[in-house]
Amino acid sequence: MESLSDTLWDVVICGTGLQQSLLALALSRSDKKVLHIDPHDYYGGQDAALSLQEAESWVADVEAGKEPSFRSALITKPDGSTGLGFPRAYSLALSPQLIHARSALLEQLVSSRAYRQVEFLAVGSFFIFNPAQDPSQKPTLARIPSTREDVFLTTAIPTKAKRGLMKFLKFVLDYESSPQTDLWQPDAEAPLTEFLSRQFKMDTELQTYIITLSLSLDGKITTKDGLAVIRRHLSSMGMYGPGFAAIYPKWGGLSEIAQISCRAGAVGGAVYMLGTGIKAMKEGEDPIEVELTSGDVIKTRSLVRSGNDATGQIETARLVAVVGSPIKSLFEATAEGAPTPAVAVVAFPAGSLSTPGGKASEYPAYVSVHSSDTGECPNGQSVLYMTTLATSESQEILDQALDSFLGAVGDDQAPQCLYKLQYKRLEGSTQSPAHGSIFDFTIPSTSLSFNDSTLEPVRDAWKMVMGDAAVDAEYMQFTDREGAAEDDDL
Amino acid sequence: MADSGNAPKPSSSVKLVLLGEAAVGKSSLVLRFVNNDFQENKEPTIGAAFLTQKCNLPTRTIKFEIWDTAGQERFASLAPMYYRNAQAALVVYDLTKPTSLVKAKHWVAELQRQASPGIVIALVGNKLDLTNDEAGSGGDGESPGVDGEGDARKVTTDEAKTYADEEGLLFFETSAKTGYNVTEVFTAIANAIPETSLKTARGPGAAHAAARSEEQRVNLNGARDQNAKDGCAC
Repeated sequence: MESLSDTLWDVVICGTGLQQSLLALALSRSDKKVLHIDPHDYYGGQDAALSLQEAESWVADVEAGKEPSFRSALITKPDGSTGLGFPRAYSLALSPQLIHARSALLEQLVSSRAYRQVEFLAVGSFFIFNPAQDPSQKPTLARIPSTREDVFLTTAIPTKAKRGLMKFLKFVLDYESSPQTDLWQPDAEAPLTEFLSRQFKMDTELQTYIITLSLSLDGKITTKDGLAVIRRHLSSMGMYGPGFAAIYPKWGGLSEIAQISCRAGAVGGAVYMLGTGIKAMKEGEDPIEVELTSGDVIKTRSLVRSGNDATGQIETARLVAVVGSPIKSLFEATAEGAPTPAVAVVAFPAGSLSTPGGKASEYPAYVSVHSSDTGECPNGQSVLYMTTLATSESQEILDQALDSFLGAVGDDQAPQCLYKLQYKRLEGSTQSPAHGSIFDFTIPSTSLSFNDSTLEPVRDAWKMVMGDAAVDAEYMQFTDREGAAEDDDL
Repeated sequence: MADSGNAPKPSSSVKLVLLGEAAVGKSSLVLRFVNNDFQENKEPTIGAAFLTQKCNLPTRTIKFEIWDTAGQERFASLAPMYYRNAQAALVVYDLTKPTSLVKAKHWVAELQRQASPGIVIALVGNKLDLTNDEAGSGGDGESPGVDGEGDARKVTTDEAKTYADEEGLLFFETSAKTGYNVTEVFTAIANAIPETSLKTARGPGAAHAAARSEEQRVNLNGARDQNAKDGCAC
């Protein structure tokens, strides 16, 4: 076998986050010589899924400043809690994004045939948290009806309000053609809530339903962006089966897609080295000379790296909590023939939470609740992924959201929180990162639903590596490899 | 044993992963099993995502989905998704190379920690054709031994067998080159897979490996564009 330094590599990819891994997938049938390395000893980088042991050393790395897109990481185990399983039984996702059925990511996974090795689960209902009216009552969760049939059947919405909502759902599916455009374009940059109130006479409650479906982090999404994401949600509904609009890869979200993409890269001949980063390099030379932390000095025609440009344009506060209850009430299939959902989304509208000091929450908070079907925790438990925009109080707000959530879903007794991992995540800048034969990915979007803009830089990097051989129409278009295409129906 | 076209029997697919140090002959064993083929001086593994082969047992048919490492073991870079959910594993060492048995033991420990409970593990000492054992030689008529005379065996059958017994593993010595014992390994694995852990098994009796219940799985093969309209009731 040739040694690393005897090969002239076409590209060295450093980092195994989703983007770098998709690049490896895109190059997997190209005959390019690919060396794919990652300083971490696990796959996924900022999109990894961590066991509890790995989470512990990850927190130490974040606190040591080794993880540019994260800060303020801390693990706590509530006093007196029992029942946490063994550390490897957990797979806590750093990127637990749900993926809408209409996402170009799924299109690419299908056209590249990589999807066969991922198990996708349905994302079920979206709920809104309603605080208790008085201390003798429990807070409640209200399910959002998100199809017209759903709206028709629900008893939670007064008939008059239903008409406005129905009208809106019909409008949004075709909002980009005229004459509908006349209705919203003048308000394109104004908040969606104002538009909903003026044009569809929606009250605050219905506006909150719509904002929640948009998963807007600040709750102030513009009409233009809001209509686009709501349309994506509605048109995704039913695409892969009845009753759900989005899916989630089992075992840790985007981490899984990174892993199968790297495997596809390896099957195509790429060499993989974990626990290996770039120690030094001589820029401006062709080929570029790179010294790896393993001591190997290698030569490559191009280099793709991971950004460490966390400018913090958007910063989110996160709380991952393991809970000692399956919270079954959230995972009911809502349509006939629908798969049992493994993920539910609960939104805490702005103002519905308050800090111990009495300050009301400025932004919405979102909780993605994952059942043990995701493989992220043992049976009988669930994992909550909580997100809100970072503020000086955001961590207190998330703790409050956790307590309120547990209060709302418990019957006689609130489920116990067994483990908490909190951190802040930063988003990078969006400038075009290619220069010459070196390409730097920026730190990707922190949105709660996978954002297709994440895919554009991957294609750009692919073009850089492929050079003149890049044919756009062939990007990610592969046939099944031998043995994989056989009928699996047994 | 492959594809003998009998009357329909219950059929189940089983994910089988290959593990072991680079160059012990993992891919060669699979090529021998699947295609009854052997390539001298085979390049390190690239190109095969996974291969499938049916194994007909008297009462059922097992369809192996055999996952090759794609060379990711070379720098200790196998992803957890590779061996997670496997119902069977073939842990291979080279019986002329003692360090490869050490590595094999490491993989067995890793599987016992990470893989599905109830996974069937077979420990396989490959390259029996390089020893003086009568069983491994023959085939193409070449005399045994690396340089045609000495016995290159460095791991005794006893040592490996004792370890396999302690850990409850199936154990075989094989030659992918001559084909000796290769089919036997896969048949033994197929027989050892408990009926309850097969994918066709449903309901509360199903073991963990099969708990990936099919009614939860979303199939991306064939989006329902027409139904999408019904789904959003417009």
